[in-house]
Amino acid sequence: MSEAANGAERELDLGWMDRTGPLETRAEPGKYGLTIADISIGDYGEAPEASDNLTGRPRGAAARPASYRIGAYPVRSKNDIWLDNASFLYEEALQRQWSSATDVPWHTIEPLPDDVEQAECQLATFLTEVEFVAGDVPARWVSLTTPDFYEPRQVLLAQVMDESRHMDVFRKRALANGGGLMQATGATSGFVGSIDLSRDFTEMSSRLHVSGEGSVLTLFRMGELMAQNEAEKVIYRLCAQDEARHVAFGVMHLRYMSETAPERREEIHCYLDEAEGGLIGAANPVGQLTPTSESMAIILGGGKDHFDDGMNKIIAIRRRQLQEYRKRVISAGFGERFENGRSRVAQMIEEAA
Amino acid sequence: MARKPAAKPSPPKQPAPKPAPPKSAVADEKRTFEPKYNWMNKTRQWGVRVKPGKAGLKLGDLNVGIYGETPTQWADQSRNPRGAVPRRGMPPVGYSIRDKAGLWADCAADLYEEAIQRRWAPATDVPWDTIEPLPDDVEHAVCQVCTELLGYANVDIETITGWQHQMSYGYHEVKQFLATASFDAARHYECFRKRALANGGGLGLEGPGMVNRMILESRGGWTEAVVYLLLMRGAFTMTLYKYLGRHAHNDAERFIYEHALADKARHVTYALDHLKYAMAHADDVLQVVRTLIAIGEGGLTRDLRDPVLAEALAVIFAGGVAKAAGRGMAVYGDMMRDYVATYLGYCRWLGVPRDPARLPPPLNEYADSTDTGA
Ligand SMILES: [Fe+2]
Ligand SMILES: [Fe+2]
Repeated sequence: MSEAANGAERELDLGWMDRTGPLETRAEPGKYGLTIADISIGDYGEAPEASDNLTGRPRGAAARPASYRIGAYPVRSKNDIWLDNASFLYEEALQRQWSSATDVPWHTIEPLPDDVEQAECQLATFLTEVEFVAGDVPARWVSLTTPDFYEPRQVLLAQVMDESRHMDVFRKRALANGGGLMQATGATSGFVGSIDLSRDFTEMSSRLHVSGEGSVLTLFRMGELMAQNEAEKVIYRLCAQDEARHVAFGVMHLRYMSETAPERREEIHCYLDEAEGGLIGAANPVGQLTPTSESMAIILGGGKDHFDDGMNKIIAIRRRQLQEYRKRVISAGFGERFENGRSRVAQMIEEAA
Repeated sequence: MARKPAAKPSPPKQPAPKPAPPKSAVADEKRTFEPKYNWMNKTRQWGVRVKPGKAGLKLGDLNVGIYGETPTQWADQSRNPRGAVPRRGMPPVGYSIRDKAGLWADCAADLYEEAIQRRWAPATDVPWDTIEPLPDDVEHAVCQVCTELLGYANVDIETITGWQHQMSYGYHEVKQFLATASFDAARHYECFRKRALANGGGLGLEGPGMVNRMILESRGGWTEAVVYLLLMRGAFTMTLYKYLGRHAHNDAERFIYEHALADKARHVTYALDHLKYAMAHADDVLQVVRTLIAIGEGGLTRDLRDPVLAEALAVIFAGGVAKAAGRGMAVYGDMMRDYVATYLGYCRWLGVPRDPARLPPPLNEYADSTDTGA
């Protein structure tokens, strides 16, 4: 046995005590506890414009010259992924986690007429199908991003968790009331320009966070109209809370990008052109007529007999989706597209009047 | 679009189609659309009514009838939810992990729900106000250990998120459990950074990185990553948390280590369950794991020969530099013996027992020679 294993004394080197990041850092908890914003102080708060961290070390730690370059991160320019309120969104996500097992009052679900239950199950099948594209894709981007930008990474990790819960809450809904899953739509397949296939983070984020989840957020906020019982109301309300954070990520990131990388503005407009082309498409349950929007009309109208009432509500929700999309894009700093005739959204809103 | 397809010729009196005026599209949609309802009754199993139990409506409760059937291969490359009627002809999303043996663990659904029930928020749940100034050498050591643990959490994050999107939709329980695992890792990343910056210190020196490299370089499949990340590193991290919890300086540290340990225990539970499943259901996995752990032990010992982590731990265990070489290193030795015993126990349970005498140094020095490994 060696000395170490025996617990016998051995000379300590202690050279590591002189190889540190800045010392005498004393972050203080504030009103919301000790948040990421609270520890963003001194040099530790400074994310570099371009990260040369190829070893995966925590930002601000002392580097070892002998370290392996194991982190060939494709995302290492700050404006590729940064946003100003990541700390807030992440901490909020932690505070607002919920459980689909115990926070949804499942016992309030009562048998529904067959057409309505089928419609609920069709919608739940669609949502189970699409929710985790918003888990799969951000997860992949986390693995490609330098830890020097750990704040946005944390928000994306919270999103993956949120989406996992969304995927499961709609599966639970489909199997809780005498129905079952129905037919998938293929809405997230690998088409060029789809969320999965984006080769740039901002491209992905404009499509996933701003247009895609933006539309879903508007929809979930209409949960009072859609819900047949208290359980569904709670599901939509809690999901909307989560989606609001995901959308905020995208809007705030686009804003940061528009302010710090003006040379990319034209390119971003191209992504928005594409996104707008799909705003009322098949991947939107209140888009143009698909199995999912037929089921939405039944849910909103209260049965096949009231399909037209349901359609009217669909069109109202669609209008609101478009209006909210326009507001978000303006807030992100790309509002000129609504002034200069580039965007068709105004016309789409008018058509939905 | 909602307008009817132009399959039938227009009746003669109808004027030729012309560009629609602005408001017409939706008005047409409202007026002329006849719902097809051709999606109705398309289901593989109807009449399912899963009731919540004492612990609510859990993910695993949904595994009834065809919804609980998890085939050994998942050929569907779309996000077709398990048990739904697939839509044919859609371009594949491109999942690379399509064999159940490549990721499955029966406990994943339960671990998922458990992770959600046991969630915690470092900002508000950790009693940060219990942290008091420590002697410089001890604070330094705490900060150094936190820096290493940040590195571990970083590799957890990068590895899990690098694999997650490659896993087929049909095994959603595992994808969902891993979402909790990478979120746990985010929480660990956050709370060790917070601890390092909260008490007059700062971050220390980055870790040596051999095991990190080994984990990130595991390209042979998720199972290989599980061996390195969740079994070997996971058991080591658990042991560190356990000893750091015992030597915590305040309630804040105690809280952090206790909760991080509970999180990590779930990851290791998944790992053991998955490896057992993979070995039982796929040809050659047992042999491959045997080879991987032999390679892994080599990587681990290279990191262990670096003195920084051991010394920082010794300073913490001894309450300062003065007794670090003696008492501190003695506790470090206990910790390493604990780790090696745990690790050998896992190997034995998995059916890949290790001969303690043949472990590479310094691991063999911490092995109980009476632990025959059989
Ligand atoms: Fe979602
Ligand atoms: Fe979302």
